[in-house]
Amino acid sequence: MKVLDKLEEWIITLLIGAATLITFFAVVHRYTSGYAIPGVQDWLLAMDVSWAQELTIIMFVWMAKFGAAYGVRTGIHVGVDVLINRLSDTNRFRFIVFGLLAGATFTGIVASMGGHFVWENGAHHAFYKLFGLALDDVMEGPTTPDLELPTWIVYSAIPLGSSLMCFRFLQVCFSFVRTGELPHHDHGHVDGLDEEPGDVEVNEFDLDDNLHPLDLKHNVIGEDRRGHDQPVAVDRRKDDLGGEPK
Amino acid sequence: MSALVIFGLLAVLMLTGMPISISLGLTVLTFLFTMTQVPLESVALKLFTGIEKFEIMAIPFFILAGNFLTHGGVAKRMINFATSMVGHWHGGLGLAGVLACALFAAVSGSSPACVVAIGSILLPAMVKAGFPKKFGAGVITTSGALGILIPPSICMVMYSVATNTSVGALFMAGVMPGLALAATLFGVTWYRARKFNYPRMQKATWGERWKAFRASVWGLLLIVVVMGGIYTGIFTPTEAAAMSAVYAFICAVFIYRDLGLKDVPKVLLNSANMSAMLLYIITNAVLFSFIMTNESIPQALADWMLGHGLGQIAFLLAVNVILLLAGNFMEPSSIVLIFAPILFPVAVKLGIDPIHFGILMTVNMEVGMCHPPVGLNLYVASGITKMGITELTVAVWPWLLSMLCFLVVVTYWPGLSLWLPKTLGLM
Repeated sequence: MKVLDKLEEWIITLLIGAATLITFFAVVHRYTSGYAIPGVQDWLLAMDVSWAQELTIIMFVWMAKFGAAYGVRTGIHVGVDVLINRLSDTNRFRFIVFGLLAGATFTGIVASMGGHFVWENGAHHAFYKLFGLALDDVMEGPTTPDLELPTWIVYSAIPLGSSLMCFRFLQVCFSFVRTGELPHHDHGHVDGLDEEPGDVEVNEFDLDDNLHPLDLKHNVIGEDRRGHDQPVAVDRRKDDLGGEPK
Repeated sequence: MSALVIFGLLAVLMLTGMPISISLGLTVLTFLFTMTQVPLESVALKLFTGIEKFEIMAIPFFILAGNFLTHGGVAKRMINFATSMVGHWHGGLGLAGVLACALFAAVSGSSPACVVAIGSILLPAMVKAGFPKKFGAGVITTSGALGILIPPSICMVMYSVATNTSVGALFMAGVMPGLALAATLFGVTWYRARKFNYPRMQKATWGERWKAFRASVWGLLLIVVVMGGIYTGIFTPTEAAAMSAVYAFICAVFIYRDLGLKDVPKVLLNSANMSAMLLYIITNAVLFSFIMTNESIPQALADWMLGHGLGQIAFLLAVNVILLLAGNFMEPSSIVLIFAPILFPVAVKLGIDPIHFGILMTVNMEVGMCHPPVGLNLYVASGITKMGITELTVAVWPWLLSMLCFLVVVTYWPGLSLWLPKTLGLM
């Protein structure tokens, strides 16, 4: 499990980093190859970067699919939780479980549809060929325009990513039923990034903001659920006197 | 009929609190299984091809750039520069907050990021300088909303994805309204600060200003890279976003050195996480609008409006009300992705300019981010100031009211948004 978690994180980190660098170099290449720098220019002109755009897109789609699965684990997906955050614990519990199972159902259906599509789109041919099985009237799949990768490899992001996402939904659901906790980041800060004193780190999609359901550990509904309201009560009274300066 | 079923189902699924992306997807699937003959395979393909556009890739790049800028000390230097310029006026630090938010908005594409970047540094400083907490929170919460109006803007990229309008033209169209809104907020801040006699800073000398400018110039140059690059056609908007991500990385790690190389994977992972979430909503929203078009719902709506003699003015009013209401339940990207494909064809039929319509939607989203129950800026500000949401809502109202007035101006004065892109020949 730990290995899968780490692998997932590494894949999406590498994909977004690499895609950025590739686009950057494609642009730099486009402009520098116009300058007559002896030696360098020929080398640049000989390099073909027309595939960069296509590769960037493919990398981002893969990142999006696996990142969405990672997002389930980190609880980043936004929803409309204005209503359910006002419900009693038992009812909220039911709705959250329903939501998680619905997520698992949807991603499960998409995974099987995607799998079917990929199979028909060339994977069938490729696997049969690989194992030396009979290939009677199985069509070879199409390839992408610039990289000439078989499209089934590219599109397999859908079944793979969706299956992983389905698994994550079930995993989160299981642990929610068992412990009553939903995945949340630490709202206060993201570690490793708060070197500045007084610098508060807030992840914008990651607050008690009615875009994410409250789990059962956040019992009080409404304003007062933020535990840190209390310490500032004294200051608040002062400020409420018509906003007079000190 | 089918329109009612689709929207009813979507609304019910959303209210159960499941992720918006999942409720969109499930609505589409249910509809496909029960009511139409569209082959399911084409849906699976759409899940991939839905985000297979190079324009969409601007979103992860801008998020990445924004994260590098937020953690990389760019915001801090912009605040110093802004304070040195306007700090000696009434409510100096508040005015500096508006100015710094406007500057940061010009390099970052999201407004909560703006509130985090500026607010987490400036708000403690304001409290220390003797400003009431709610004054500071009000200024930063609303000024942070400039983030999605002043280009670059993730919200505008979403709109252009949903409606096939030019990102470059939208960005340029955002400049004048962005400056106008910044000026409005500046004015409100100044007026209130003068009325309540809030503290002023000591006037900075020109030498100090030059020093602050020199320190922040690397961040400010990014504005030139993005806007200049898109305007002169050196980069496409997506390439400009990638350039700014790389530039922001170099800035944060090698020039300002506020971010160590070891922190980079963490920033990448966080950005990837958020981009993937947005891209996943886009994927499903594309499916959803595919169904809508397939059932020709937007056309039906347009015909209905024209049939009832509803003109531009009534339509725009209705749009504002719908979007402000939606802002109570959803976050901006989802609102744009769901409503733009429906409202856009109607707007075009009524002769409203697509670019103007995009700016109008963006300003609506800004207002939506500053009021509860769902207003990301409020929640971010509450995370920084440790103030309750009700209290913050009271604190932001003077600025929020001026934003609403501004919304009316933007809605009924297309020239404000369209003048710049027209002058630059982008449309």
